[in-house]
Amino acid sequence: MSSETSFGGALSGASEVAHRTRRLVLVGLVFLVPWVVIVGRLWFLQVEEGPHYQSLAAGNFVRESDITPDRGRIFDAKGRVLAENRPSYDIMASPMILFRNKEVPQLLATKLPIDKDKLERLIAASQTGTGAEIVVRRDVPRDQVAVVETWKNELPGIYLRISQRRYYPFDSLAAHSIGYVSGISEEEARSWESTGYTGGDQVGRTGLERWFESILRGAPGLERNVVDVRGVEQSAAVANELLGSLRRVEPVPGQELVLTLDADLTQIADDAMARTPSGGLVALDPRDGSILALYSKPGFNLNAWSGRLSNEEKRRIDNDPFKPMLNKVTSSYFPGSTYKVVTAMAGLEEGLVNAKTEVDCNGVFHYGNRDFRCWNRGGHGEVNLASALAASCDVYFYGLGVELGMDRLARYATEFGFGEMTGVTLPGESAGLVPTKAWHETHSAGGFQFGFAVNTSVGQGDVRTTPLQLALSYAALANGGSLFYPRLVDRIQLQDGTAVYEYPRKARRQLPFKPENIRQVMRGLRAVLDTDEGTAHEYRLSYVDAAGKTGTAQVRALDTARLDGNEALFADRDHAWFVAVAPVEDPRIVVAVFVEHGGHGASAAAPVAMKVIDRYFREVLGMDEAVTAYVDGSDRKRLHDLLHEPEAAATGTPSKVSGEPGAPVFRSPTEGSGSAPEVSP
Amino acid sequence: MKSTRLAGNRTRNVDPVLLFLLMTIALVGYFDLHSSANVAVTGHDTAHLMRLVVGLVAATAIGFRDYRFLERWAYIIYGGVMLLLLVVLAVGDIRNGSQRWIDLGAIDLQPSELAKLAVIIALARYFHDLGERDRLGFADLWPPALMVLCPFVLILEEPDLGTGMVVLFIALTMMAVQRISWLVIGASGLAAAAAAPIMWFFVMHDYQKARVLAFMSPERHLQGDAWQVSQSMIAIGSGGLTGKGFLKGSQVQGGFVTYHETDFIFAHHAEQWGFLGSLALLGLYLALAWWSLNIARTARDRFAMLCAVGVGAFVFWHVIINIGMVTGTLPVVGLWLPLVSYGGTATVTVMAAMGLLTSISLRRHVF
Repeated sequence: MSSETSFGGALSGASEVAHRTRRLVLVGLVFLVPWVVIVGRLWFLQVEEGPHYQSLAAGNFVRESDITPDRGRIFDAKGRVLAENRPSYDIMASPMILFRNKEVPQLLATKLPIDKDKLERLIAASQTGTGAEIVVRRDVPRDQVAVVETWKNELPGIYLRISQRRYYPFDSLAAHSIGYVSGISEEEARSWESTGYTGGDQVGRTGLERWFESILRGAPGLERNVVDVRGVEQSAAVANELLGSLRRVEPVPGQELVLTLDADLTQIADDAMARTPSGGLVALDPRDGSILALYSKPGFNLNAWSGRLSNEEKRRIDNDPFKPMLNKVTSSYFPGSTYKVVTAMAGLEEGLVNAKTEVDCNGVFHYGNRDFRCWNRGGHGEVNLASALAASCDVYFYGLGVELGMDRLARYATEFGFGEMTGVTLPGESAGLVPTKAWHETHSAGGFQFGFAVNTSVGQGDVRTTPLQLALSYAALANGGSLFYPRLVDRIQLQDGTAVYEYPRKARRQLPFKPENIRQVMRGLRAVLDTDEGTAHEYRLSYVDAAGKTGTAQVRALDTARLDGNEALFADRDHAWFVAVAPVEDPRIVVAVFVEHGGHGASAAAPVAMKVIDRYFREVLGMDEAVTAYVDGSDRKRLHDLLHEPEAAATGTPSKVSGEPGAPVFRSPTEGSGSAPEVSP
Repeated sequence: MKSTRLAGNRTRNVDPVLLFLLMTIALVGYFDLHSSANVAVTGHDTAHLMRLVVGLVAATAIGFRDYRFLERWAYIIYGGVMLLLLVVLAVGDIRNGSQRWIDLGAIDLQPSELAKLAVIIALARYFHDLGERDRLGFADLWPPALMVLCPFVLILEEPDLGTGMVVLFIALTMMAVQRISWLVIGASGLAAAAAAPIMWFFVMHDYQKARVLAFMSPERHLQGDAWQVSQSMIAIGSGGLTGKGFLKGSQVQGGFVTYHETDFIFAHHAEQWGFLGSLALLGLYLALAWWSLNIARTARDRFAMLCAVGVGAFVFWHVIINIGMVTGTLPVVGLWLPLVSYGGTATVTVMAAMGLLTSISLRRHVF
């Protein structure tokens, strides 16, 4: 090597070569230091922290999107669809693509009713690099879908998203039972995150849609797609290779509800309530508590509430004095005279009165230093239990109320199910109120006064019941004492119709009353329709033996003179009630009608209830021909047979008890004479 | 000597180790570009290979020519490049916030790239002229210091911190093989103190980790350097020990890593081939740097020896700073990875440097 150093430098020699080599080795060793550091860094990133970065990378390129399950449909008792799903198209925009295609919003605005400026603002505000998407317009009509499809190539970054929307074929029918759905807000999505909801999911807001949300909703599926940094999906082949079987988790469709409601009867209720601005009606089967119709007025359009509801319309509905969104069947009001069954039953059970006990009503009841007036200022004269119920004599019950006292009255009311929720599968049910001494001590100014029992005995004062509670308690009286849980849902089933759960026909309790006493009360309720003094006599049906009770609940203080409906302000008018059962023997239907501020129960509510019962038999049960044949006298047996047990039908033809044409018929002949009302003049 | 007479010797004397290292790294670059082209403009892989071939021809042209013409023209070349650096600051194109390019129509000239080579040649010439002297003092060292600092300052003005750093590191490495008085070494210790923060970054793994993890919270940093680096680190880290496999780097294929063909190509490489692949590439680079030092050892004169050291330092520091940057170890300064990153100027510059190295290795036995 010495030859190498013989030229080029001023100094030469072996020592110079050695020096050069030493220096170069030193530089080589210096190179090793940062190299080792970099290798160590890579070891740390790739091997030590590798799994951590792998999970970050997975989050980067896999985009998960929920697959919304089919929401369970809702059917009425006869299988008619009350709530279903329809496809819906949203116009979407991809900001990442629109950034590079500035002309698109302008072009879109010329083709569709879209606010160009607003869209441009949304695009400008969206995060880049996140694959975000913008909803330009939700649930567009078909013609706009066609426009987007047609101009697809001229509108890069604009696309359609297909989703499902709730659709209610009957619009507002049974709106309060079914309820509506709406998309959840971002805020709700955050607080419900643990339950798997994401923004824009549809969620039940009222009625069954809300109560059965978890059943109807099903479980969302999941689709994972491989996306690039712009959020653009890679091909299915790429996704399959990278994700395999993890790519898709199928959604579980929601389960379906089959209701006990009958759409026809609900429509009949609507017809019957036509002249009523505000109120509620519930019809149920007294044999098992199945709700046949649940109607609240005014109603609202489920499709409007589940779709785009303008703010003005929403405000208008919210400010409507008749409270369209309130389910009046499960809200509580003063029951008025319909509550007298409680007082009557308590009096009989406690032995304070019997069927023959007579009271002289001269129109006013003196108690303490106050006068409590009967609604009939002239008085009813001598009344017994049945005629007091028939004519709705207040004085008879005032006296009974005083003798029973507040708490005994409350105990019987509780037996009937008042003051507690019925357990109907609807949100927002009111328990009503059964006031006691203790309640008055804490809630009434001046504490409990003995006069309160007087008011309570006729369903005034502070007692409040819901139409549904009244219907169930009357059903219990009619069916011999079984206080049922209301059945609104008959069964829950899978999409293919397989039943998953059948709601039991279950009595909450057996009314602990003597059968004879129940019969006595029922006799009074029959007299309401059957006898001339009966408050609802003029609305009786010629072919069916019905029982019922009118109620006229004062909204203003009792001391104020009752005003005729036309003279009073609407909000000051009395609530009108009628609860009816038919047929009395072997009852098939109980109808409770509540007409808010409707005036007298007899004139405002009773005709509604009887109309519903009439049309239930004729149209819903399909007995129109038999009823007609009965009424014109051509065939009286057929109607009887239709409604009775075979053995009962075989025992004989229906007898006419009162001798009038069109008198009660649905009664087994052996008991016929016993059920005739005994009414004193 | 006449070049025709030397033809036989030349082919026999072509350095097989250097050729092997060059070709292997260039092939890695081809495959990395090929797979990353899957998501971007295709054809970069072949274009890269074409450029390498062109570069190799150019390198051979330089290599087969006697490098000593460079020695003669060293200061002229240096002066020309300095002039270009001034020109670029006056009329250069501004891209990505820095002024580095002179638009010559067909090609974009990057004077700062040429500066790396110019500094190597000029320093080699200076120390060659100085001869093998002992204990170089301030009187001997202020001219080379100026030769480095002038381009360094001009390049920082662009700003191009990465290239500036590389120029500084090349110069320091070349100084390291001189016999310098202890006084000057003490003074340059101060200069090293200025470079200390860089070393400090190498050591501070935990701090870096914390900082970069903070960067990665996506709501805070969706764009900019932090986004680039965090996505690059995700790509590298997710490669694991053995990598995701050829064409399967989801980070790069998904477009999450920006500049994945140029400055951030290593992220792509590491994602596909994992730690073992990264280690292999780094090993090749270290071998290339060491082989340059070996060529320097056997170089027939001081100019050649210093040029070989300079070229080795050039490749080595380029690699270290680039990978330090994409792994989040160093700030993002914008440097390409020699022989692998896509880019015309980068390839031409690096192949020119390799040509110089070839020339030096060819002539080691020719006296």
